Amino acid sequence: MNQHIHCKSTPREIAPGVQWLGDCLAQHANGKIYHTYNAAYLVIGEEASLLVETGHPKDYPLLARQLEKVLKGQPPLRYLFVTHQETPHSGGLGRILEDFDDVILCGDMSDYHLAFPQFSHRMSALALGDTIDLGNRLFRVVEPVIRDLRTTWWGFDEKERVLFPGDGFAYSHYHEDGHCGLFAEEAVSLNIPEVSAVFADRALFWTKFTQMDLYADRLEKLVHELDVRAIGPAHGLPVIDPKTTFPKIKAGLIYGSSVPESGTETGPTRDKSST
Amino acid sequence: MKQTIEEFRTEIIPLVDGKLFSIASTIVLDGRVSAYPANVRGYALGHCYLLKEANDALLLDSGYSAYRSQIIESLRTLLLPDDELSIYPLRLNEYMSVCNVEAIANTFRAKQCYSGNPDASLWVAFSRHSENLTDYKLKTTLVARKQDLRLGGGDGRILSAFQAPIRLIGTRWVYDRETQTLFTSDSFTHQWQLAADEPATIRSRADVADMPFVRSFLLNTRYWWLEGGKTAELCRKLDAVRSQYPITRIAPGYGKITEGFASVEKQFDTLIAALEDLDQANSACAYVDRELIR
Repeated sequence: MNQHIHCKSTPREIAPGVQWLGDCLAQHANGKIYHTYNAAYLVIGEEASLLVETGHPKDYPLLARQLEKVLKGQPPLRYLFVTHQETPHSGGLGRILEDFDDVILCGDMSDYHLAFPQFSHRMSALALGDTIDLGNRLFRVVEPVIRDLRTTWWGFDEKERVLFPGDGFAYSHYHEDGHCGLFAEEAVSLNIPEVSAVFADRALFWTKFTQMDLYADRLEKLVHELDVRAIGPAHGLPVIDPKTTFPKIKAGLIYGSSVPESGTETGPTRDKSST
Repeated sequence: MKQTIEEFRTEIIPLVDGKLFSIASTIVLDGRVSAYPANVRGYALGHCYLLKEANDALLLDSGYSAYRSQIIESLRTLLLPDDELSIYPLRLNEYMSVCNVEAIANTFRAKQCYSGNPDASLWVAFSRHSENLTDYKLKTTLVARKQDLRLGGGDGRILSAFQAPIRLIGTRWVYDRETQTLFTSDSFTHQWQLAADEPATIRSRADVADMPFVRSFLLNTRYWWLEGGKTAELCRKLDAVRSQYPITRIAPGYGKITEGFASVEKQFDTLIAALEDLDQANSACAYVDRELIR
């Protein structure tokens, strides 16, 4: 990162007892460098703590340092909830289970017995509505409205009403504008529709082939039904004022789906006639 | 049906003598494999394809960790001591593609990892080993969205790598001109085995699954979002692939391999017909609940 750009850094508390962890990943698109988070979140109850996502495989050394810092004096890490099996969400899973002997992996357990067979005795499959009691704090499995793999679940902290939507609320941000480490509401120059389109082009190919207004409406319904007060996405900046920010996110989802795909990944485009 | 350690087995399937092999892992379908519908039972082969030319070798995907030691043993059987190995994970975000890249690269001191991402070696660094490496690091060689690679030197075998015409996440397909094989990653994976000893290949048009079956498979797996969508564009892209390349073998990342031009044609016809049926012109679009089985 450029030294002269002032960025806030993680860990950062997004709600009482909910810490935002992780790091950005640079993406090249439209001739610019965008940053996208591969975030993790720590939810701290009175008896146990739960980690949501693990970030990208490359991020584990940073995540381990952040966890050491935020877990100091707190109830121990007992649970790891990953929204789905893609490596930017779960790539640090093996090392978390290695480093924290008592941690149980929770969520949809598909593929993990094949990817991490040495830990298959520490996996617990959850279904819609299941809860984990962290001590005066329940963490609930909720409907994954925006997803890629069919095995996705989202999580919800009932105490502070924080939604953890994995690939939902996914958008890039502008490192050059100092957006790293900011909440969505603080990143005033962030054009959410534009950065939603950038992310959709990279990682949510399917959104360009369906009617995204159906998913945007369902997402709005879920946010309303759960009375969501903060949102901790894996890739976007955290949202701490859903009432103000959700309309922009909704517009971004629909706009992002309307922009024709240009391709995925950051490799050079030598032949623009790609199939 | 829970898979025990003893059932994590692999076999080498020779596809073209000395040129192309599958190192095939038998995966038990017990509702815990994301690439298959939650309600199907049986077995699916998970393929790592090894392409060889002179002393050059390319491995497409690296398989799940559960099969690591057997995959590495299979590679020892197939590679000569002075063979140079490259690895190309076709889906950089998925465990089946990347779990063993690091272990294979370290065992065979792989020449390079092909990827569309410049820092691919960081995407496959699941162990602490990679944090402490001082003597060997896996080199990433960037591959464009459409690019020909050479196997066996500058005038060697041409492998055309390109963005998958239908995909959920970042996915590459590869076409091997020498063997007329199309490697399709997570597409054409819809035929699995009811019994572990069932043939691994489809050789007859009669054995190709029908359109309603393929349609249902798509909707109950990672292509759950297709119904009522804009699939005409996907059909066009698929048709362009088969028009561009003479294909006599479809080699998917999972499931049965399709052999022979006539069977390959029927696989394409069937997939395109399923996508046409799912198009917004023929099917209504609705929000898809996670648990919906169609």
